[in-house]
Amino acid sequence: MKVSINWLKDFVDVDVDIETLSNLFTLHSAEIEETTKLINATNLKVGFVTDIKKHENADTLNVCQVKTNEGTHQIICGAPNVQENQHVIVAMPGAVLPGNFKIKKAKIRGVESNGMICSLNELGVDKSLVDASGIHVIKEACTLYDNPLEVLNLDDEVMTVHVNPNRPDLLSIMGVAIDTAAILDKEYHPKSYTVNEIKEENPIDITLNTPYCPSYYTRVVKDVVIRESPRFIKSRLIAAGMRPINNIVDITNYVMLETGQPLHAFDLDSLEKEEITVRLAKDNESFKTLDNKERLLKEDDIVITSNDIPIALGGVMGGADSEITDQTSRIIIESAIFDEVHIRNTQKRLDLRSEASTRFERGIDPNRTKLALDMCASLFEKYADAKTLKNIKKVDNIKPQSTEISVSLEKINKTLGTSYTKKDITQTLDKLFFNYTTNKTTFNIIPPSHRLQIETYQDIIEEVGRMLGYKNIPSSLPETVSVGRLSSYQIFKRNIKHHMTSLGLNEVKTYALIKDERVHEFDKDSQRTIQVNRPMSQEHKTLTLSPLPNLIDVVKYNKARKLSDVFIFELGKNYQKDNEIELLSGTLTGTYDSVDWQSSNKTIDFYLVKGLLESLFEKLNLNQITYHPTNAYKNCHPGQTALIKQGDDTLGFIGKIHPKYAQTHKLEDTFVFELDLKEMYNNKTAITQFNEISKYPSITRDIALVVDDKVLASELLESIKKASNKTLKTATVFDVYHGEPLAETQKSLAIKLTFGLKDRTLETQEIEEQVALILQAVKRKYDAELRSI
Amino acid sequence: MDIKQKVKDLLKEAKEQVAATDLMHNLNQVKADYLGKKGPFSGLMRHMKDLPNEEKPTFGKAVNTAKQELKKAIEKQREVIKERQIQAKLEAETIDVTLPSRQFRLGNKHLLTQIIEHIEDLFIGMGYEIKEGPEVEIDEYNFEKLNLPKNHPARDMQDTFYITEDTLLRTHTSPVQVRTMLNNNGNKPIKIICPGIVYRRDDDDATHSHQFMQIEGLVVDEKTTMADLKGTLEIMAKELFGEQRKIRLRPDYFPFTEPSVEVDVSCHNCGGDGCHICKQTGWIEVLGAGMVNNNVLKASGYDPEKYQGFAFGVGVERLAMLKYKINDIRDFYTNDQRFNNQFK
Ligand SMILES: [Zn+2]
Repeated sequence: MKVSINWLKDFVDVDVDIETLSNLFTLHSAEIEETTKLINATNLKVGFVTDIKKHENADTLNVCQVKTNEGTHQIICGAPNVQENQHVIVAMPGAVLPGNFKIKKAKIRGVESNGMICSLNELGVDKSLVDASGIHVIKEACTLYDNPLEVLNLDDEVMTVHVNPNRPDLLSIMGVAIDTAAILDKEYHPKSYTVNEIKEENPIDITLNTPYCPSYYTRVVKDVVIRESPRFIKSRLIAAGMRPINNIVDITNYVMLETGQPLHAFDLDSLEKEEITVRLAKDNESFKTLDNKERLLKEDDIVITSNDIPIALGGVMGGADSEITDQTSRIIIESAIFDEVHIRNTQKRLDLRSEASTRFERGIDPNRTKLALDMCASLFEKYADAKTLKNIKKVDNIKPQSTEISVSLEKINKTLGTSYTKKDITQTLDKLFFNYTTNKTTFNIIPPSHRLQIETYQDIIEEVGRMLGYKNIPSSLPETVSVGRLSSYQIFKRNIKHHMTSLGLNEVKTYALIKDERVHEFDKDSQRTIQVNRPMSQEHKTLTLSPLPNLIDVVKYNKARKLSDVFIFELGKNYQKDNEIELLSGTLTGTYDSVDWQSSNKTIDFYLVKGLLESLFEKLNLNQITYHPTNAYKNCHPGQTALIKQGDDTLGFIGKIHPKYAQTHKLEDTFVFELDLKEMYNNKTAITQFNEISKYPSITRDIALVVDDKVLASELLESIKKASNKTLKTATVFDVYHGEPLAETQKSLAIKLTFGLKDRTLETQEIEEQVALILQAVKRKYDAELRSI
Repeated sequence: MDIKQKVKDLLKEAKEQVAATDLMHNLNQVKADYLGKKGPFSGLMRHMKDLPNEEKPTFGKAVNTAKQELKKAIEKQREVIKERQIQAKLEAETIDVTLPSRQFRLGNKHLLTQIIEHIEDLFIGMGYEIKEGPEVEIDEYNFEKLNLPKNHPARDMQDTFYITEDTLLRTHTSPVQVRTMLNNNGNKPIKIICPGIVYRRDDDDATHSHQFMQIEGLVVDEKTTMADLKGTLEIMAKELFGEQRKIRLRPDYFPFTEPSVEVDVSCHNCGGDGCHICKQTGWIEVLGAGMVNNNVLKASGYDPEKYQGFAFGVGVERLAMLKYKINDIRDFYTNDQRFNNQFK
């Protein structure tokens, strides 16, 4: 809401500057978004055009002689409407216009010009609010010694109030004035308007056929003369951001801005019957609104009808057929209240938001319905030569607010943490026009009708808190003593982030909504996906099954910027209906460890990524992890991808991206992994007891086994473990050999066997027995031959 | 020739040889050559039998003294050679310490994670628990139980991604508060912080993001006041923006709190004098807060006659943008490694 300070001064003696007022208003009532001068220009004078001649070198320019209180000046002017014997606004050399436009003496096409004759647009008034096609001609009586802005009522300042849903009262000058008076501790001076009714009676019959119009007031005026509004109305509308049209339209808007009650004017002679019925629209009923658009209505819309023909979309927009025209003589002024929700739905559906509908959807003070009507009639009498017919015709089903809100002084102080006195509270309530009675320290309060949203004692506490000032509330901390801590799952997640970053991976964050086509890129199970109904773009439509498509994009983005070593992870989600599976996902490409001058670069490979993950598993106490080749991921290399399992539980996978996928995304060798956090969390073991360290040395034996190339190392090691007794502590592969003298389909795996017991040293004999057992077993199962190392 | 002179000459010659030796095995050779059984000293001793008896003891003593002297010289030379070898090794091993190092990769947590963990740790220290919840929520928890019934005008303040008529992407982490209150069956004090991802139907630009992160706090007990809210937020503002920061509360509106306030923090850039960051006001709008609306307590099973409390919510990106003067919210989600790597 844009508030003219001059208008505010009609109600309150504002004796502070706009900055101070705006600061106080922000602290006590509502945020002031902006303060401005209505016209931000210097060195303006009233000028009188005494003579005009065509510019000798330019058809469209005139050379004007303009008289000011400092003499006569020659000014070049290009406006089509400049004429002799006009009063105009002149910006003299030295003037600064909005946009830091400095006026100087100049030669225009060889002819001297000493200033500029201005339009209001050139003085900073928005084009939508004034005629910007020519200079502004001053029609008001004035002398050359006057300040043109004063003559035009434009020497005003404007503050823009941010109006929250709980403060519809601030959508009126009156409402802003009441809070201003309370904040500045000044009197609030209400205005009163007298209507001079003639003998002729208001002929309109009113019927309300819907509960969604609880109150409908009309007055009728006749013999109106349509013309321009008086200067003060025009300038105040401009200050409020509304374009002046004519006296009738302007006065209804003026009354709405002052009181918050929107009005509508119908041309009475355009109606078929002197009757108005308010009802809900019929489905698909058609109606032509003011803007000449045919609208299809729904049962939810409130329509004003006459003789059952819609003449207005109640509270939202008038009809083209009953619009005020230059020929209008008799006018019905409507001042009514419509249901907030219906107004909201209608204006939303038809995309018809207006100053009026905004006010209806927020809620109207029922006590201003008649006030606004009388104010309008009175101004019509004064500025449109109207005669007001006798009586208001109305139906009013609104019951006055009668429920009291009770709150005690103790409750107020217990909520705010303050020690305010009874007097502090009564003074606040008085300033805000709250009615109340007191019983010891309990207040029984009836809020004023312009504060419809005050419904609970908490609302009253807010009024007290803000008016007495939040700066006067002390600082303390909650008294409740409690244990603050992370859950063990939260600690687990922090450990993962900590470990992954220690290994040199950067954490990233990406969007959960992605392109629908990409959501299944790393999904092996064709899972169901979740889409939002109305995405802002196709790029962000479907919730991820895995953040990996995003991580691939991050790699692409960075590679495109010559950052070729990208090692990233994200804690993302697989969004399932009723289940959001938390994932640790990673993408790695480039050189893991590089010192160029030593040429010892380690380009990332499967085993490096596997090693990173195994260090994580070890850190998290995840034991007996196994790897199983898989070709289930369509965008992963079938020969370099493995499911990661613990027992029967699948924790995730690790793999190289498929060469085709790599080509599509212009990537080099890139590896991905993904792990299910909850699965990992549920499968980790906890150390419950310390493990005694053996005092006896362990003994190692190295063996090399020649097997078929297809035999997996994990299978071979598994049968080695099965074949021997508990003296075998570990068996690990330390070398793999292909080539002469082995056949092409063969490989040799060198395996280190470590034997030992906790309570004694093993005899050589025992170890030889175990090795023999092992060799037998692998010979039987894999036809493995011992090869001398 | 005088045999004594011979001993002297021999010792001199041997010592010169020793001194000229610079390798350990050569030194050992010299030692064997001179002092071995077939060496010249042994040879001299064989001449002893030719001497008159009275000269024999003196001669024997002289030879032995010479041998001892030579041995000493050899051992001394051994030390010299050892020292020389070490020196040579040091010289050989000297490197250019200014050449680049072997690189260890350094990974960093995302800036938003860092800020969230910082705030979590601050509040854990004050006795809060961390609560998380789903991002796909039901309308009832995201709106209805937070005093935002259907058709409430404030629903327009948060344009929402709906999935079905009743499910949506949460627009704030407040539903986690609802879930916590419901779990408690309305009879336990609550002190929680709820961090997480939230969504709004906004077009992405420098200051808007359809996805962002939020941290909300909730305290409910029998006596928590607005003064406690003010004190708590003061601690948070100082922790994040520096010990000198002040806060101010001013009226605002949220359906879930009453009274509701907007919380400004004195500008960390200019100290409150006014600059472009605080738009010359000296204050920066940082978060929304208030006393929990009784309708919210009631909807989640808490008796407002007995319980009261405060709630606040803050955008994590906004905190990071203010703190590090980041101008574009999209930077958090682009993950340009040159951006991410600045925050260790
Ligand atoms: Zn500043």
